[in-house]
Amino acid sequence: MSEEIRIGVYVCHCGLNIAGVVNVKEVVEYAKTLPNVVVAKDYVFMCSAPGQAMIKEDIKEHKLNRVVVAACSPAMHEPTFRGVLGDAGLNPYLFEMANIREHCSWVHPDDKEAATEKAKELVRMAVAKARLLEPLEKIKSAVRPAVLVIGGGVAGLRATLDLVERGFDVYLVEKRSVLGGNAVKLGELAYTTLTGKDVVNSLVEKIKANPKAHIFLNSEVEKVDGSIGDFRVTVTRRLGEGKEEKIELNVGAIIVAIGYDPYEPAIGEYGYKTTDKVVTLFQLMDILSEEGPTKGELLIGGIRPKSLAFILCVGSLSTTPNAKPYCSRMCCSASLKTILKIKEKYPDIDVYVFYKDMRTYGKEEDLYWKAIENEVKFIRFDEAPSVKPRDKFVEVEAFDTTIQERIAIPVDAVVLANGMVPATDTEKIRIMLKIGCGADGFLKEAHLKLRPVEALTDGIFLAGVATGPKNIIESIASGSAAAAKAATIVTKEEIEVEPLIARVNEDMCSGCGICAALCPYEAITIEVKEDGKRISKVNSMLCKGCGTCAAACPSGAMQQSGFKDNQVMAQVVATFRGE
Amino acid sequence: MKPVVVVGGGIAGIQAALDLADQGVKVYLVEKSPSIGGRMAQLDKTFPTLDCSSCILTPKMVAVDRHENIELLTYAEVKEVVGEPGNFKVKILKKPRYVDVDKCTGCGQCVMKCPVKVPNEFNLGMDMRKAIYIPFPQAVPLKATIDPEHCLYFTKGVCRVCERFCPPKAINFNQKPEEIELNVAAIIVATGFSLDDARKRGEYGYGKYPNVYTNLEFERLLSSTGPTKGEIVRRSDGRHPKKIAFIQCVCSRDELTNKYCSAICCMASTKEAILAKEHLPDVECTIFFMDVRAFGKGYQEFFERAKQEFGVRFVRARPAKIEEDPKTRNLIVYYEDTETSRFTKEEFDMVVLAVALRPILPESLVKSGLIQPDNYGFADVPEMYIEPVRASKPGIFVIGVLQSPKDIPDSVIQAGAAAMRAAIYAISG
Amino acid sequence: MAEFKPKIVVFACNWCTYAALDLAGTSRMKYPANFRVIKVMCSGRVDPQFVLEAFKQGADGVIVAGCHPGDCHYVNGNMKTLRRMTMLKKMLEEMGIEKERFRLEWISAAEATKWVQVANEMVEQVKALGPLKPRLEVKE
Ligand SMILES: Cc1cc2nc3c(=O)[nH]c(=O)nc-3n(C[C@H](O)[C@H](O)[C@H](O)COP(=O)(O)OP(=O)(O)OC[C@H]3O[C@@H](n4cnc5c(N)ncnc54)[C@H](O)[C@@H]3O)c2cc1C
Ligand SMILES: Cc1cc2nc3c(=O)[nH]c(=O)nc-3n(C[C@H](O)[C@H](O)[C@H](O)COP(=O)(O)OP(=O)(O)OC[C@H]3O[C@@H](n4cnc5c(N)ncnc54)[C@H](O)[C@@H]3O)c2cc1C
Ligand code: SF4
Ligand code: SF4
Ligand code: SF4
Ligand code: SF4
Ligand code: SF4
Ligand code: FES
Repeated sequence: MSEEIRIGVYVCHCGLNIAGVVNVKEVVEYAKTLPNVVVAKDYVFMCSAPGQAMIKEDIKEHKLNRVVVAACSPAMHEPTFRGVLGDAGLNPYLFEMANIREHCSWVHPDDKEAATEKAKELVRMAVAKARLLEPLEKIKSAVRPAVLVIGGGVAGLRATLDLVERGFDVYLVEKRSVLGGNAVKLGELAYTTLTGKDVVNSLVEKIKANPKAHIFLNSEVEKVDGSIGDFRVTVTRRLGEGKEEKIELNVGAIIVAIGYDPYEPAIGEYGYKTTDKVVTLFQLMDILSEEGPTKGELLIGGIRPKSLAFILCVGSLSTTPNAKPYCSRMCCSASLKTILKIKEKYPDIDVYVFYKDMRTYGKEEDLYWKAIENEVKFIRFDEAPSVKPRDKFVEVEAFDTTIQERIAIPVDAVVLANGMVPATDTEKIRIMLKIGCGADGFLKEAHLKLRPVEALTDGIFLAGVATGPKNIIESIASGSAAAAKAATIVTKEEIEVEPLIARVNEDMCSGCGICAALCPYEAITIEVKEDGKRISKVNSMLCKGCGTCAAACPSGAMQQSGFKDNQVMAQVVATFRGE
Repeated sequence: MKPVVVVGGGIAGIQAALDLADQGVKVYLVEKSPSIGGRMAQLDKTFPTLDCSSCILTPKMVAVDRHENIELLTYAEVKEVVGEPGNFKVKILKKPRYVDVDKCTGCGQCVMKCPVKVPNEFNLGMDMRKAIYIPFPQAVPLKATIDPEHCLYFTKGVCRVCERFCPPKAINFNQKPEEIELNVAAIIVATGFSLDDARKRGEYGYGKYPNVYTNLEFERLLSSTGPTKGEIVRRSDGRHPKKIAFIQCVCSRDELTNKYCSAICCMASTKEAILAKEHLPDVECTIFFMDVRAFGKGYQEFFERAKQEFGVRFVRARPAKIEEDPKTRNLIVYYEDTETSRFTKEEFDMVVLAVALRPILPESLVKSGLIQPDNYGFADVPEMYIEPVRASKPGIFVIGVLQSPKDIPDSVIQAGAAAMRAAIYAISG
Repeated sequence: MAEFKPKIVVFACNWCTYAALDLAGTSRMKYPANFRVIKVMCSGRVDPQFVLEAFKQGADGVIVAGCHPGDCHYVNGNMKTLRRMTMLKKMLEEMGIEKERFRLEWISAAEATKWVQVANEMVEQVKALGPLKPRLEVKE
């Protein structure tokens, strides 16, 4: 039994913005002639407090059960008017807007007649759709007040510490037997005497002292089910002697901080591994750290070099066939920082830097000025230099673009400033969590600029180098930023999502699976009922409401709320005629 | 739970406010100008994905306005701060708009009728606004403001035309400044930047030769809400340029002005050259640079695209000077091409200078020692490795370009970080 | 005889093309008043039936428009649209509807200018063809 449809239509002048072009009174009179419209009015500013009050009163007085506002773009005020309906006790989704400003008066100022005609038709289309609208409820789901952090490098550690300090339980899952990731190997950092290890330790100490932190070493995430607010996670912990243990967790949000792998040059790439006089920057940093193999003494291939050549962009900027096309962002600065520390300790050493582009961006430029002051010699190349191991030395040869000459410099040792590549497990994690990767192989953020720590899947956040090269400072900042996003979810007891999503009419569904194959979010599964009937099922927490499935469903079983077939069709028909 | 104050409503401040408010923390967002949005609102499209700046920014601005946990204090400044982490007393001065914001609907009638024209800050003085104005079409809040320095009523005691034409009777010439005192747990400062004065490099002739522009001016030329409605035309004669030179590192990486690198201008010029080509397919674009700082995600790929797909020419050189042909108003750029070691000159009909970013430190917080400038004048972060956004004083956070030159993604990340750290003070406060 | 005023139905996705039309408005651009826009969340929602129905009801032209490839708010809904609309185009031609009456366009939220250009072109093209005779009903 359906109730009588009672529609109120409200046409806004928007000062002269609409009324200066569209004959608003005429539109109102026309609206009154449309079926089911019981009241139609105009007002100078419908969104203003008096305009809103008028609509609320009418809803009560005229027992309206649908409202149409003809005014600006719904992008502006749809939420405002939905709120008005809600305040008046009407379901907010029984509302439709006709855009007679952006799409009409503003673009047809010279043809008032055509603009008025168009405004009438836009109102007719909105009324036609409104007639078929249904009340919808936001979809709610309970939230587990705990967070899973995958990866215990500086980014994951910072995120963990923030969230436990904020009062949430955090499960930190680290694959290796120690925390800290790559930073522990970096020795003394730029602008400070702190080492990478110091940074890690200061975070780890505070985390370990907090009872809300639950650390799982030698562990990996094996399976993740559920969705935002309620993920069910299976972790496998290696116990030694081939034994394993499985741990089940239930969390509201997930932070992925799986970091990177240092680029490993191929054998023979710049002489790597053909002589012990060629090392990577990553190895050199370990050599220079107090806990390293030489207790911090600069020894390469058993000798203390008197001259060093650094080759930059190793593994980056497509310098060699193996190299990645992107810039690894920190290797210019990390090289210069290392050189300055070496120069401090061994002032007599000669250092040559072979570079393609010096990318000491921002304040890091300071390192470049200092390197020049310290008489570090810079050689710019376009074509990668060649490294030729000789008996007692190594020769680095390149075409120096600045002096336009080929030069060969003999040095005692060569350092390859190796970049960063996506962590080995990136692909595995990406598939398990149904999140995306970019062409560079790093995890992809929901929006590169404005949502840099969110994955495309709701409730999953990204921190550190997992999304692309960063230094420690930037990795730590993104760890905190991801923690903030996770906190926006786990602080709530319940989360709500828009109800404009897909729904299946089980009686009509033939279980063909076309919808499931098309859904970009894998929100649809085909279930087999007890009687063997196959039907499609939409996970309302995963569906984002694009409507692609509905457009493709051959039996009309799949419908998108707010954009059902009959609702859109009604608009199409009303474009041409009234009923 | 105690509230948090965010000072500065650019993208960094907006994001920090949203990330706090979404955690249930009450936020006061204090913005000096009549609208939030900051520099990003002035940009046309953004590197490296070329999405339109206001399209991605406006929804965030509207979200701030609608958020139940955010109180927006625009046209306001922080006067004084005292206290300790978890318990700061903040005095805020709200300047009078002379418009009742509860009544104003942003219809713009007043603006149309006002007889006084004033150089328009939003378009960097390249066109005029009125004495009563709405800074840009997507302003939040979308309310008019009277500029008392130019309004005839305030300067000469006559006019009041806006008052007569305002449909909801929103004009109020008797509004007074308002002081607000808040007790807050933490303060996030995101007061951003302005460009350095390009006249400091007099050899490039900015301010002297009409067809030399700053990169921010060029962004406004590209924008459909700009002074030329998106037409790239020369200041001197309104003609489309055929050859544009972009000069990098103006007042950056420079011993005389600023030694630091401004981090965004290599990509900004690359983007602007691409956009110029989109607007004027036959235009030739040359970028004079020292190093292309294409370090961020997708940046190197963007740079390659500019070269290959759009035919932007990159010349590794720092031009020595620019001269103007007084007849054509064309510009002759003198430079040494470092890749051929040859001194040469070349004529262009428009030049765009990539000018250094200079931080804007809010005086009241510097005076009270809560923020300290570093060697370069940016807000210092003494514990950068562990607390990368914490200022000299705990409980005070500095983010965005205020803290170091950076792009939008990094500003947004720092905003999230500050929101996280500030929330911890808020819940224990 | 009165001047022929074609009526053209536009299916526009919420995130790009609908926003571009809004921007055309806020930028006070001008284009002919022949278009009636129906908003969907993604161009992927556009069922070819909608387009057929529009022609059947008397549309002189139809535009389906969404985000550029790679920019779809829902990952790749527009790619599915591309496939569907390519098939539909063939079908329309078989039905005797000139190909100039139907367009698939990628118009980003920033491309108000592109919209205006498409709008002008479309009106020109359709005007040149004249009204669409209600041939569809015969076919059914
Ligand atoms: C040669 C070189 C020199 C550098 N020098 C500097 C420098 O001087 N200054 C500076 O600031 N930065 C420097 N960096 C960068 C610095 O190393 C990174 O910014 C930082 O370590 C990134 O931290 P992260 O937490 O993102 O990743 P990582 O340190 O890589 O940590 C990731 C963690 O996740 C774990 N993990 C991976 N997969 C899984 C899985 N499936 N399950 C569970 N755990 C997993 C890993 O075991 C690791 O512990 C340098 C990098 C290189 C390559
Ligand atoms: C020409 C140019 C092109 C660019 N292009 C790009 C691009 O394509 N992509 C990209 O990622 N980045 C780009 N950028 C960089 C981008 O503009 C910045 O990263 C970003 O705007 C920084 O935001 P912010 O919030 O830190 O500062 P701002 O945007 O400067 O915001 C600061 C806000 O604080 C307010 N304020 C100042 N002082 C006070 C005070 N005392 N009290 C209260 N409020 C105050 C200001 O009014 C302003 O609203 C570009 C920059 C330039 C110059
Ligand atoms: S940071 Fe420097 S060394 Fe590293 S890839 Fe980029 S340009 Fe090359
Ligand atoms: S509407 Fe889109 S997101 Fe939702 S189930 Fe259908 S295809 Fe998937
Ligand atoms: S002050 Fe009055 S006339 Fe001016 S924009 Fe506001 S409501 Fe319109
Ligand atoms: S009173 Fe001032 S602001 Fe108002 S119209 Fe006159 S000059 Fe303009
Ligand atoms: S980003 Fe580029 S143009 Fe800007 S200062 Fe740095 S090197 Fe120069
Ligand atoms: S959202 Fe625009 S085409 Fe999918």
